Amino acid sequence: MQTKDINENLPWAQINKDVMRSMMNPRMAYWVAIIVCIAMISCAVAAEIYQYNVGMGTANLNWPHMWDLYIATFIFWIGMSHSGTLLSAILHIIHADWRKPIYRFAEAMTTFSLMTAGLFPVIHLGRMWNMYWVLPYYSDRGIWPNFRSPLVWDAFAITTYLTSSALFLFIGMIPDLAVCRDNTTGWRRKLYTILSLGWRGDDRQWRNFRRTYLLMACFLIPLAVSVHSIVSSDFAVSIMPGWHVTTFPPYFVAGALYSGCAAIITLFICLRYFFRLEDYMTIPILVKTAKLTFAIAMVWTYLNLIEFASIWYGHNAVDKELLIAKFTGPYSPYFWLMLFIGSVVPFTLAFEKLRTHLPTMLVVSLVLNLGMWLERWMIVTPTLSLGYHPFAFDVMWPSMVQWAIVFGSFGWFGLLFLIFVKVFPCVSMYEVKEMCYHRKRATLGIGHGEHAGGGAAGAVPASKSDLERS
Amino acid sequence: MSKRRVLGLFDGFDAAFAAINDIKAGNVSGVALDDVEVLSPIEHPDIDEVLEHRKSHVPKFTLLGALFGMTFGFLFLASAQANFLVQPQGGKPVIPLPSNIVLTYEMLILFGVIFTLIAFLTTARLLRKRNPLYSERITIDQVGVEITLDESNLAGLKENFAKHGVLEVREGTL
Amino acid sequence: MSLENILKDWSKYRRGHEEGGHHDYEHMWGMAIDLDKCTGCNACSVACYAENNLAVVGEEKFSKGQAMHWLRIERYWDEPDLGENRVNEYQIHGASFLPMNCQQCNAATCEPVCPVAATYHTPDGLNAQVYNRCIGSRYCSNNCPYRLRYFNFFSYYEDSWPEPLQMQLNPDISVRDKGVMEKCTFCVQRIRKAKDDAAREQRDVLDGDIKTACQQSCATQAIVFGDLLDEDSVVSKVWKKHEVALGKASQNKANPDKRGYRVLEGLNTDPCIMFLERVREV
Repeated sequence: MQTKDINENLPWAQINKDVMRSMMNPRMAYWVAIIVCIAMISCAVAAEIYQYNVGMGTANLNWPHMWDLYIATFIFWIGMSHSGTLLSAILHIIHADWRKPIYRFAEAMTTFSLMTAGLFPVIHLGRMWNMYWVLPYYSDRGIWPNFRSPLVWDAFAITTYLTSSALFLFIGMIPDLAVCRDNTTGWRRKLYTILSLGWRGDDRQWRNFRRTYLLMACFLIPLAVSVHSIVSSDFAVSIMPGWHVTTFPPYFVAGALYSGCAAIITLFICLRYFFRLEDYMTIPILVKTAKLTFAIAMVWTYLNLIEFASIWYGHNAVDKELLIAKFTGPYSPYFWLMLFIGSVVPFTLAFEKLRTHLPTMLVVSLVLNLGMWLERWMIVTPTLSLGYHPFAFDVMWPSMVQWAIVFGSFGWFGLLFLIFVKVFPCVSMYEVKEMCYHRKRATLGIGHGEHAGGGAAGAVPASKSDLERS
Repeated sequence: MSKRRVLGLFDGFDAAFAAINDIKAGNVSGVALDDVEVLSPIEHPDIDEVLEHRKSHVPKFTLLGALFGMTFGFLFLASAQANFLVQPQGGKPVIPLPSNIVLTYEMLILFGVIFTLIAFLTTARLLRKRNPLYSERITIDQVGVEITLDESNLAGLKENFAKHGVLEVREGTL
Repeated sequence: MSLENILKDWSKYRRGHEEGGHHDYEHMWGMAIDLDKCTGCNACSVACYAENNLAVVGEEKFSKGQAMHWLRIERYWDEPDLGENRVNEYQIHGASFLPMNCQQCNAATCEPVCPVAATYHTPDGLNAQVYNRCIGSRYCSNNCPYRLRYFNFFSYYEDSWPEPLQMQLNPDISVRDKGVMEKCTFCVQRIRKAKDDAAREQRDVLDGDIKTACQQSCATQAIVFGDLLDEDSVVSKVWKKHEVALGKASQNKANPDKRGYRVLEGLNTDPCIMFLERVREV
C-alpha cells in the first residue's frame, strides 16, 4: 500500500500536464452532470417563482413556524463553507504540507457554498425585493439598519467572509493561473493573462506573495470562527428555549468543520476518480482528512452531550421540556437519526480498512452531511414548535416548495463547482511542486526540514536534477 | 552606454544560486547583487539568504488596514446609531457595545484583507505591463536569473552563466 | 458632526432600559385585564378584526395556523382529563380564558432582532410596527415568547373582503399586503386621534379619552386601558392596587387580594399588560 503522501519524484512538467489535462476537454459525463444541475436549479426557480407570487404561506410556514428549512439549509451551507478556508489556513500556518494537493478545491467549495448559503436569507424574506434595506447605506431619511440584529451581523459577516475567502482562493491561484496562461491558447489564454495579473515568478513577487498569503490565512482563521459564531447568534442571542444556549457558537463551529470535512472527502473522492488524479489525491491524504473528521466528530458529540447535560442540570422547566420533546416528540425520529449519524457513523473513520476503501468513504461522507443537515433542522424547528407559550405549541412539516428549493440549492452548488473545475486548476500546481521539493530534500537529509519535518539543519541548496539523480 | 537585461535559464536552484553567489563575490565586473532578480516556479526557502533578505512591506499595510477598519467601523456604527434614535431598542442603550464589537471585528478583518490585497498588488508590481523578457519554462521547472547591466559587462556575465551550466540566455532592452 | 454628537451625548446613548433609557416618555400606555371578569365571549377579538382591518383567512388557512387574530382568546383547562365523568367529547367544566394581544413590552425581545428597524419603541411606550419598512424576516415573531406577532403569509386582502365588504374597512389604518409582520397596536389610530383632538383643544389627553376596540366591546368591562404615567388614571390605580409595576419582575402571591401578574415576567420583557387572576401553583 502507498505510504507516502505524494510521490516526491513526480517530474514538475508532469504535474503541470496532469492538472492542465483535468481542466481540458470535458467528457460526456461532465455535460450530463451540468444538465442535471441545471434541471435541479430549474425546480428551485419554479418553486421560488410560485412562492414569490403567492406568498410565504405556500412553503407551509405558519404561526409559530416562521422559519424552517430555508434557515436550516442556510446554516448547512454556511457550515460547509467553513472547512475549506479554515482548514486550508490553519494547516498552512502550521506547515502541514499534506494540505497542498487538496486545499484548492476545498477553498472553491467554501466560496461556492457561501454563494449558495447567501441565497437562502433572501429566499426566505417575505418581501425579498427590499432585501437591500439590511445594508448600511446612507439614506436622506436618516434610516439605518438595526445594528443590534443578528441578521445584520450575518449580512456583515457573510460579506466579509465571501470577500476574504474569494480573495484567498484567488491570490493562492495566481501562480497557477500563470502556468495556465503559458500552456493554453485561445479564449483561455486571454482569460488567464488577465487573471494572472502579470505574474512572472520573480523574487519580488514571490516574497510579497508569501507574506500576503500568510497574512490572509491569519485573518481567515478568526474570521471563519466568528462567522459561524455570528450565525449561531441568530439563535443564541434570542430568548427562546433551545436557541438561547451559551455553547452554540463553539457547537456551530464544530458542526461546520464537521460537515465541511465530510464534504471535502466527498469531493476528494469524486475528483480523484473522474479526473484520475490518483498521484495527487492519495490515500494517505484521505486517511489524514478522515482522522481529522473523526476528531471533529468527537468534539461535536461532546458539545452535544454537554448541552444536554447543562440543560438537564440547569433544571429550567421550559428548556428541559423542550429537550425531552426532542427525544420523544413528533420530531424525535429525525433527532435520533441525527445523533446516530453524527456520533456513531463517524466510528467507521476509525478503522484503517474502512477509511482506505473509497466507496465506503464516499457513502460515509455523504451520510455525515445528511446528519449535519438534520442537525440544523433539529435546531430550528423544535424550538418553534415548543416555545414558552403553551397555546402556540404546534407541529408543522415543510411543503414541496421548501423541499424543491433546498434540492435546487445542491444543483446550484454543483453547477458552480463543475464550472470551476474546468476553468481553474483544482490542484495547486506550484504548491505540489514545493511539497515534492521539500519532501525530497528532507528524505535526502538536506535543507531546513522546516516544511516536511526531520532533515538535517543547514542550508545547502540542491538542484532538482541532483535530487532526481539520487 | 545602454543598459540591458539578460535572463539566464538554469536547471534547478543549485546552478542558479551558484551563479548568483559568484556575482555576490564580485567575480562579474559591473554587476552587483541589487541588479539580480530570480524567477522561479516555486519559492525556494533559501532565496532570502541568497538575495540577502530583501524586504516585504505588505504587513505594514495590513496593520494599517486593520487599525483603520477597527476605528472606522466603530465610529461609523456609533454615529449611525446616535443619529437614528427611533431605532429599535429592546431595552438596550442607543449605542450597545456588545453588538458593535461584533461588527467592528468584522470591519477590522474586512479592511485588513482589502489593504493587504492592495499592498500585494502594488509591492509585487502586479497589474502592470509584463516584462517581455520571460520564458514559459519558468512556470514549469527552470529557474531564471535576470540581471540588469551595462552592455559592456555582457561578455563577463555570459561567461559566468556558462560556467554554471546555463541552458539558455535571453536578452532584452530596458 | 456625528463624532461631536457621540462625544457630547455619550452617557445618554449608553443608558439602557434599567437606567431609564434615552427616551423621555410622554405617555406609557398600559392595560389591565381582569380574568375573573372574562367570559371568553370573543367579542374583543371580533372588535379587533373590525377596527384594525384584520384579514379573515378562512377555515383551511386558520387550521394551518396562518390566521391574523391580533387579540386571541386562549382556552386552558383546569382538569385536563375528566376520565369517567366525561359526558361527551368536549369538556364542559374547568375552562379558563386568557385574552392575549401584544404585551407592548418595554424591553421587547422582538425589537433588537429586527434587521431593518421596522419595529421600534415610540415615546408613547408603544412597541410600534412599521409596515412599510418590514422586509418579512420574521425574526421578531420567533423571538416573541408570547407568539403575538402575525405574518401575512398570503395577499389576504384579495379575498378577505369580497364586494361590498371592502366598504367596511377602517380608513384610519392600512390594509397589509403579503410579506409583512403585524400585531396589536393598542389601536394606535385612536390614540393618534385623541392626541390630535387634545392638541387642538390645547389640553392634555385625559384618562378615558382613548378606548381601545377590545375595551369598548368587552361586555363585562374586563379591560382597562390608559396612561401608566398618569397617577390618576384608572389603569395606574389598578396597577398600584395590585402592586404590579414596570421594572418589577415578581409579585407577592401570599395576599389573596393582590391578584395582579404579567405573563412570563421572569423573562424580564417588562410588558405593559397586567392580568388579574390569582396565580395558583398547582
